[in-house]
Amino acid sequence: MLVFAISDKGGTGRSVTGTNIVYRHALQGNDVCYLDFDFGSPTAGAIFSVSGVSRGTRENGLHEYLRAECPQPRRVDVWAESDREGLRMRPPGAGRLVLLPGSEGGGELSALTDEIVGRCVQLFGRLDEEFDLCMVDVSAGRSFTAELVLAATVRMPTVPFRWLVFHRWTRQHIIAADGLVTGADGLLDVGTRFGHDADDLRDRIRFVRTAVLEPDASELVGLRDEQRAWLSACDSELRELAGRHGVGRTAMLGKIPLDPVLQWREQLITDEDVLASKIANAETAAAFDELAKKIVDDNAWEGL
Amino acid sequence: MLVMGEVHTGLLQNSGEISESTCRQVLAITAGETVRVSRRPIVHALSPERLTGVDCALPAASRSRVRGVGTVVSRCVVTGGRVAQGSSYVRVVRSEADRRLPWSHYLARPGVVEVLGKAKAADLAEGFTGDPAPGCLDLGAVSGRFLDLVQGSPLLDRLAPFKMSRTSLRWVAETGEPSIRFTLHSEQDRTLRLTHPGPFTPAVVDLCEDLATHDWLLTSLLVIVERARIGSTPGAQAAARLTPAIDHLLHLWMPAARVEEWLTPFWDSLERRPGFTRQWHSLVNRVRDQIATNTLALLSTSTEPGRR
Repeated sequence: MLVFAISDKGGTGRSVTGTNIVYRHALQGNDVCYLDFDFGSPTAGAIFSVSGVSRGTRENGLHEYLRAECPQPRRVDVWAESDREGLRMRPPGAGRLVLLPGSEGGGELSALTDEIVGRCVQLFGRLDEEFDLCMVDVSAGRSFTAELVLAATVRMPTVPFRWLVFHRWTRQHIIAADGLVTGADGLLDVGTRFGHDADDLRDRIRFVRTAVLEPDASELVGLRDEQRAWLSACDSELRELAGRHGVGRTAMLGKIPLDPVLQWREQLITDEDVLASKIANAETAAAFDELAKKIVDDNAWEGL
Repeated sequence: MLVMGEVHTGLLQNSGEISESTCRQVLAITAGETVRVSRRPIVHALSPERLTGVDCALPAASRSRVRGVGTVVSRCVVTGGRVAQGSSYVRVVRSEADRRLPWSHYLARPGVVEVLGKAKAADLAEGFTGDPAPGCLDLGAVSGRFLDLVQGSPLLDRLAPFKMSRTSLRWVAETGEPSIRFTLHSEQDRTLRLTHPGPFTPAVVDLCEDLATHDWLLTSLLVIVERARIGSTPGAQAAARLTPAIDHLLHLWMPAARVEEWLTPFWDSLERRPGFTRQWHSLVNRVRDQIATNTLALLSTSTEPGRR
């Protein structure tokens, strides 16, 4: 299955959530790969702590592959090449965890040609033979990259795919996330132009809320009553707004609580971070774990 | 001088095995040319051959610049309606001219690449099976594309019963004192150095494809057994994870079924060491024993008095 991760605005935690979902999915025993299609800033290597490709790879990156400058994109086996000790050993029962880094200094795609779409179809087809889940990190907002994957998926009707739209829990982000899906030149608009069925595509899109601060969260214990009341009012206002914009509970696949670790550093949250060093919250790891299951659970993806 | 080729092997992207007639349609990659099918002892279908024109550097271990011009022969293979392959090879010969000739010259010699200038066969053989420099003749890219051709066929439903990596076998065949060396590199890459008596014939390509098929079967069964985590997961769960192997792989083992008589000694020597069939049988027994013990466990729980 192909899963496309997109967000309307930058800084939503799309990459860090996407990589953590992929990591949890691998721990659940599946073979997974992560494709860094964020060509403007391919930094997924940093999240996986593979220092050699922290800003993309110098040779055989995805960008070069799509431009037909190399026969095969480079693959990084995270279990073997990560610098983090906690990641360098493949846990028993875990599947393969492979990163396909972007090209260092590659830059966004400047045009969409038939050849690039053909290369993309070839790549997705081959990865789908091999991996249970391929997560594709599409750059933020409307881009040629998003158009590319929409055009590619039309050409491979038998390969299952899903979209995750990441947004933060604020007014601006809710409105933007809805706009990215339903607005002019949004996913549905462009998708139908390329030949997708609008209803079918709509059913393949779900939202993920990131950095969510629940009004009853333990972090808020020190707040004054006025602050807490105000937060609670904000939250219900946002819920109403989200409902109106089609970003409400039914279209939501999951939410990731605000975690201090992720605010300071984009990284994979391992069980060691939760249990041994206790720097990360157990709720965050549990949220990633649940999303990693829901992403392939057909019940969570029934038609709206 | 020498022959070099590369075979890519993968699981056919279909829920079940495909019938002989579907094989014919999937492999009809050139209009008007027939797909060759043999039925015994296993259904084996070969697409018509296609040529790819090349004019590029050949991989040399010494990194010296060797230019080759000619055509690559490629074809697709489906074995048992289940295992798909893309296979390409070239016969490398010295050119009698010192410049590139009109394409009609090369088209009259399908599958021959002529070397312009000096080159040593050993240097090319080492270069091709070693670590080829980027930008050189890449038979793997051609074979991969032919395998894509099969896997992307609209006649397949793409609902393969399990995910499995493709494997690549890069081979070099020369004439001389008989010897064979099969090497596993990474999880997916293998090389084969073959020295055969007498001149090269396409039967050598059949042998390489047959080896690639069986190496892929063995690799895949190993992966499935590893994924089942026998011993560390409950028996029923492990047995369930082994089922795809029983449904789709175990009946496909037919080593040397399509290898010409004069080449069978090569298969025999690989059977002695490392012993492909030996490892295969041990794995198959392990799979069947797991299923049997799990069945026994189920039977005994259902007949135990007082329990239902």
